[in-house]
Amino acid sequence: MREIRYREAVREAIREEMEADERVFLMGEEVGHYQGAYKVSEGLLSQFGEKRVIDTPIAEAGFAGIGIGAAMTGLRPIIEFMTWNFSFVAFDQIISNAAKIRQMSGGTFDVPIVFRGPNGAAKQVASQHSHSVDPFYTNIPGIFVVMPATPRDAKGLLKTAIRCQDPVIFLEGETLYNVKGEVPELDEEELIPFGKGRIGREGKDCTIVAFGRPYYEAMQAAEKLAADGIECEIVDPRTLRPLDIELLVESVKKTHRCVVVHEHWPYGGPGAEIVDQIQREAFDWLDAPIHRVGSLDVPMPYASNLENFVLPTVERISDAVRRVSYAK
Amino acid sequence: MAKIVGLPKLSPTMEEGTLAKWVAKEGDTIDVDDLLAEVETDKATMEFRSFDKGVLLKILAEEGETLEPDTPVAIIGEKGEDIAALIEEAKSAGGGGSESKSESKSDSKSESESESEPKSEPEPKAETQKPKRPSGDRIFASPLVRKTAREEDVDLADVKGSGPHGRIIKRDLDAYLEGGGAKRQAPSGGSGWERKPPVVEKASQMRKAIARRLTESKQTVPHFYLTIDVDASGLVATRKEMNANLVDEKVSFNDLVIKAAAMALRRFPRANASWVDGEIHWHQVVDISVAVAVQDGLVTPVVRDADRKGVLAISMEVRELAARARDKKLKPEEMQNGTFSISNLGMYGVQEFAAVINPPEGALLAVGALRDAPTVRDGQLVAGKKMKVTLSCDHRVVDGAVGAQYLQHLQRFLETPSTMLL
Repeated sequence: MREIRYREAVREAIREEMEADERVFLMGEEVGHYQGAYKVSEGLLSQFGEKRVIDTPIAEAGFAGIGIGAAMTGLRPIIEFMTWNFSFVAFDQIISNAAKIRQMSGGTFDVPIVFRGPNGAAKQVASQHSHSVDPFYTNIPGIFVVMPATPRDAKGLLKTAIRCQDPVIFLEGETLYNVKGEVPELDEEELIPFGKGRIGREGKDCTIVAFGRPYYEAMQAAEKLAADGIECEIVDPRTLRPLDIELLVESVKKTHRCVVVHEHWPYGGPGAEIVDQIQREAFDWLDAPIHRVGSLDVPMPYASNLENFVLPTVERISDAVRRVSYAK
Repeated sequence: MAKIVGLPKLSPTMEEGTLAKWVAKEGDTIDVDDLLAEVETDKATMEFRSFDKGVLLKILAEEGETLEPDTPVAIIGEKGEDIAALIEEAKSAGGGGSESKSESKSDSKSESESESEPKSEPEPKAETQKPKRPSGDRIFASPLVRKTAREEDVDLADVKGSGPHGRIIKRDLDAYLEGGGAKRQAPSGGSGWERKPPVVEKASQMRKAIARRLTESKQTVPHFYLTIDVDASGLVATRKEMNANLVDEKVSFNDLVIKAAAMALRRFPRANASWVDGEIHWHQVVDISVAVAVQDGLVTPVVRDADRKGVLAISMEVRELAARARDKKLKPEEMQNGTFSISNLGMYGVQEFAAVINPPEGALLAVGALRDAPTVRDGQLVAGKKMKVTLSCDHRVVDGAVGAQYLQHLQRFLETPSTMLL
């Protein structure tokens, strides 16, 4: 299988869906002439023209709302937030309109829209630009939340998202865009369904649930722990809403131990939701309490050493696995 | 002078009774014949009335306890009396509380296995092998370990925990089992029950009485069964006529069957007999026990002299007895000394069945459903009504031919009810 970067995988998904369906268009800051703030949309303007690749002013509430209106009236917009931190000024559009219109209109209007962009910390962009927004958006009924870690998942899930008849929050990662991974050939179309997780690594001793950027830290921790004889199973739920709880429970029933890794702050969020569901469904199979490893409970510091201290590290993940495995 | 009150024997066959409900409270002034409590016996819920006068100073037995007769259940005396010595005496008499508690412990094994405190064992050897835990500490074990211990029937008090707070974790239990750790009992062969164990319920006194008496009947009474198919058209017509002439009351088919069975016993008394300790008792009365289904079992109140009573009288009596049976208000003597039983499952659509004899009676009639059936009348096939009845006989007193002759009499009465007037 060929190897491409995460950003190329996202671009391929957008391009293929725009080629297949002329109702699909891309809108956001710097998506056109600048070729994308992170070069995700490189080449799309010249291929599809200014009607379908639209540069906007710095006005998230405005273009998020325009997107929702376009979706209600028959188009299929992809709205790019330069980063998800900027979605906060568009939050009302997303929670009050995108997520509610179908219900409040009694099913008259669908809102087939994708909001996408990089989520989480991005190496010294400081407290206001380092948010993991997944806890905010997973709390809202009426929208899907997708958080792919690998290029293949990013492509397959984004294609599903664009074809979805409801709003989708699609969380990429600035530090993920350069990650290379195997993706099926261009002529082998792959759609990955929502609500289906993936086993990233098989193991019998401890389940690590990881999604988004820290998936890679979890993989590294698993390699180190394997050298000490602890075989971890890495399960990536890939979509946080809906959540593939069956797969997680199946793994925990096998390993009897579980660590949940996430980049978001520790209070609540999908990390806590996953722990809650697992302890209820797999209680009698647990040999230890489930532990969580997330960012520390502080605004993100600017200093590089402190940022690395706050984010979930390989060391903290390894420690948590040792604790639930009762290993020294 | 205060005295201990023991549980009275409330029926001749009462071997134990369950204290269903205390009606009197501690501190109540009690007169002779005042209601103290309700006691569930093998027969019914009986009233436990005081033989003494005074103040109910102390209740020694809790509601729900099952106790033998004479077990101390209360202390009655004068207000303010010192009863400490009597309480001690009652305790040493194995009275309420201590005894039943030990019983309930053995019954609720599943509870004690996971949470039990380390107990001192009779053999000192076992004691020394137990992991040390400060007394009163509960056992910490992971959910997985508790589940596995339930499945493998391991007493976690025997397993040493290596996790935080001494928590027993998977590897502790694995090591214990690999080291030949004793299961509490031999493995039962891995039946499906281990996955979903049955819900265990204590049998009521009635349930126990049914179990004891019917097991005894099936094991000691040589049963055989005779079935006839009765043309019930006449019975249907007779009932219709009767009810047309009744204002408030209605008679049922069962009432007519009771009457016919009783009449047949009067006409053919050889089927009205009991085997009692090597003797044959030929009954001079026709007392019919009628099986009545109640909440958690069945009882058999007796219609005395059913052969001499009219169908309406039988009907009213059965209804009254059945109502009180459902309220558990029948007196034991109302359920004793029948000479013949009738059990009817026809209303449930049962066509025929073979019932267990109610000792010491010699026979029992099991009545099936009244059904539409083709009938030959005057050489013509017509739509008719039929009903199957099955006689269960105690072969020690009722031989096959005797049972068959009885059924001939019964059949005549059922098919031509007017012949009962002859």
